[in-house]
Amino acid sequence: MALKHRTEKCAAVFGQSDAQSKWLRPARTDVETVGIWALLAAAGLAAAIAIPAFRDPANLANILRQASVLGIIAIGQTFVIAAGMIDLSVGMIAGLVVVLSCLILGGDPSLTLAVVPMMLVLGATIGLLNGILVNRLNLHPLILTFGMLSILQGVIFTITDRSVGRASPFLQWLANGEIAGIPVSALLLLVLAGLAQLVFTRTRFGYHLVAAGGNAESARRAGVNVRAVRLACFVISGAFAGLAGLLLAGRLGTGYPLAGTGLELDSIVAVVLGGTALAGGRGSVVRSIGGVVALAIISNVLNLLEVSAFVQMFAKGMIVIIAILLNQPRRA
Amino acid sequence: MTALSAYRTDATLHLAARYAIFVVLILVYGLAILVSEAFLQPSYLFNVLRQVAPIGIAAIGVTFVMIVGGVDLSVGAVISLTSVLCAVQMNGDAGNLPLAVIVACAAGILIGTLNGLACALTRVSPFILTLGAGIAVLGLTQIYSGGTARGIVSPGFREFFNYRIFATVPVLALAFLGLAALGLIVQKTTLFGRRLYLIGSNRSAARLAGLPVARTIVLAYALSGFFGALAGIALLARSGVSNTLSGQGLEFQVLAAIVLGGTTFEGGRGGIAGTVAGVLVLVIAFNLVNISGLPYHMQLVVMGVIIILASAVHGGLNARTG
Repeated sequence: MALKHRTEKCAAVFGQSDAQSKWLRPARTDVETVGIWALLAAAGLAAAIAIPAFRDPANLANILRQASVLGIIAIGQTFVIAAGMIDLSVGMIAGLVVVLSCLILGGDPSLTLAVVPMMLVLGATIGLLNGILVNRLNLHPLILTFGMLSILQGVIFTITDRSVGRASPFLQWLANGEIAGIPVSALLLLVLAGLAQLVFTRTRFGYHLVAAGGNAESARRAGVNVRAVRLACFVISGAFAGLAGLLLAGRLGTGYPLAGTGLELDSIVAVVLGGTALAGGRGSVVRSIGGVVALAIISNVLNLLEVSAFVQMFAKGMIVIIAILLNQPRRA
Repeated sequence: MTALSAYRTDATLHLAARYAIFVVLILVYGLAILVSEAFLQPSYLFNVLRQVAPIGIAAIGVTFVMIVGGVDLSVGAVISLTSVLCAVQMNGDAGNLPLAVIVACAAGILIGTLNGLACALTRVSPFILTLGAGIAVLGLTQIYSGGTARGIVSPGFREFFNYRIFATVPVLALAFLGLAALGLIVQKTTLFGRRLYLIGSNRSAARLAGLPVARTIVLAYALSGFFGALAGIALLARSGVSNTLSGQGLEFQVLAAIVLGGTTFEGGRGGIAGTVAGVLVLVIAFNLVNISGLPYHMQLVVMGVIIILASAVHGGLNARTG
């Protein structure tokens, strides 16, 4: 009894349902880990059977392209949420990068080499600022990043209220190009997701971050530098949002100021659909990507069925509500 | 430090936390007078009140929700929906006015009640839930209106609310003040108001003490929806044009005002008086941004900074006073 209790406590601190906790508790097939794959299979099969246009390889490639922007943001968001926090500023970081990169590039290919790292650093810097403020001001990340969302939106609109500049050919290739019939952006997402999953499940940082998300105080007493972990999570989230912004700029081809609007909520929904509890302490990058692809399929099907944008918006809101109602923190 | 002086420091901090916003209001108003003499004229001041009435009215309702430990981000969408609903129901005929107002209020209360039920009966994050509800309601509004401005305001509706009593006090400004007084009475004198604070500061303790937790939370959200609907009607009265996106983004201003007024996201603190002061500080700050010639969209930046700083300051004060 006592041993079982202790094991459960360990599992709560290192609440990872991957490598480590397989030793601690018998493998379970529950909604949390299997749900997203069931949803994905059901949505994909239903769409493939009912709608011939869905099966078209070009359409499938398009779904992957659409999923890549959100997928990259969702990777960063998974880190933040698993660490027990949330980042509402990612959409506006991506939006700012879209506007700034197109404005600076103006279609000039020679500037690409300078602009790409610049924008990644910009995203990481905003993330760093989020992390420092969360640590210094002792604010709930929800409130802080909500304020940051407002600030960044103001900055974007102050820069421009209409589309400006032009993306460079490289960014457009990154977003729309193909290698052997597979979209470049999907390959990029695949590589990044694989790396992130490794960091998550195989590194000390990954364990520390899940521990901090499960119970910050226990983690701190166990010697985890919780503040550093939080800072790192926000930097990762900001950098990924910056990268997603570059991809989005390539897709749109121009600096559209509203480009990033709503991506923060979409990424949270994807992570939640992937079975990651908003309370933190658990999470899986791969499952979040599953959530992203599921969202992309749903949106694609609604488009193919020519459902109006307004009905789609309503459907999106309902998906958020249903996902969050199904993903409830377990009672302690 | 002796126990007594520690107690005194505590009491001082407590006072500071409680009345900080009113001091800030006086300071900001003083600054405004220095910048422009216009802030001394009653007609200008009442005009500012008229201008801020929709946000102020919505903020009163959301304050109830935040005291009880929730938050309502769907309020912007509710404002859009109810203002379109009201305009379409009026259809340019004064006889339709009562029905239009009732329909709009019923829609607001319904949405608020659904939000409340979800938050009271489950343990979802109200933040994300109401964000999602906001998107769904925005979609509904667009479906209903077809994405364009629909409906015609009844003759006399706009004129009535913008009529200036004694040529200075617009009826809309008066309505805001009246609703604020009503909210203050509900908060201070009713059992419901008292329960809000108890549940907001410790939900499980309140449940163990036998308080009707679920009912109170649902009522708070329903009130938020109701005030959101009134804000939608006020917005329609102010502009005279129904627009499907008129309420978009207003939830930021509402939240900024509330947090500024000392009602925290944790719940159990603050109140309507602080919120009204917060609304006034916000609107004066916006007017200052405009007068000083900063770009219009800097308002969003100002608001974000206010949300972060006000939360940090109040959080710090609350942590020290316990």
